[in-house]
Amino acid sequence: MNLHEQKTVPAVIPTASMADIAFLLIIFFMVTFTIEVDKTQVTLPQTVIRQEVPKKAAYVSVTEAGQIRVSDGEQISAPVGSADEVLSFAAEVIGREPTKEFVLKADEHTPYRYIDEVIDALKQARVSVIYLLSSQETKDEENRAGTN
Amino acid sequence: MKLPSRRVSDEIPTSSMADIAFLLIIYFMVTTTFAATRGLDFALPKDDDQPPVVEKEESVLIEVQPSGDLVVDGRPMLKSEVLDYLKPKLEVNPRKPVIIRPDANAPYGAMVSVYDELRQGADKGVEVRNISIPTQREIDRFWF
Repeated sequence: MNLHEQKTVPAVIPTASMADIAFLLIIFFMVTFTIEVDKTQVTLPQTVIRQEVPKKAAYVSVTEAGQIRVSDGEQISAPVGSADEVLSFAAEVIGREPTKEFVLKADEHTPYRYIDEVIDALKQARVSVIYLLSSQETKDEENRAGTN
Repeated sequence: MKLPSRRVSDEIPTSSMADIAFLLIIYFMVTTTFAATRGLDFALPKDDDQPPVVEKEESVLIEVQPSGDLVVDGRPMLKSEVLDYLKPKLEVNPRKPVIIRPDANAPYGAMVSVYDELRQGADKGVEVRNISIPTQREIDRFWF
């Protein structure tokens, strides 16, 4: 008497759920995807307090040598020659959208006179809030800076 | 003569779905840059022709030297000592103006660092409500 009925196991790896996992990952990347409007390489100053910058905020970047680039948050940033051009750019953006936030992305070694001109231009253009872009300061770095 | 009937599978072929999805993942992974999207918010005052009148001696002046060192009300001070210096003054007048005035050649990072320190005061029981960073044009127009 043959008690053992022979079962055939299919030689297939179940891949149906693979697509679900992949689509979950896609959704994650789509949600976190933001087009970087300004690709200027700067060493950001480090701060402890860091607020989330609103999406679509306009960018003004200043390199260590004082080169300025501006972006309205939708177009890729373009270089401008002087702070006066920042004023006309900011005035145009504020004219279109009076509550537009501006982000100042500047190198920590930039001499303050360049920053002063940019902030002054933004003030004259009646910008209400600017965000000083920064990287995270850790407690160790803070303590070290405090003892210096 | 009986022809053998071919069985058609009643399943939707989904094996290539994962390939397509992974291609999309790779695209998003390559194009995503985790950009720094955080910073210190700084509310700019309105550019009025007539700013609020503040007695100079009423405010605390923090000067940032080109070396990044601080001089508070004429005295050299470490960044970590500023809040302790401000505490008794703010207890008397919580709205006491604190003015940060960086030198033209001071590094931007030093100014941000002082501003960050003052903003952190709220967590340390020394809330500095009235911080201003006047620009050179404003100083030329209104201070002298």
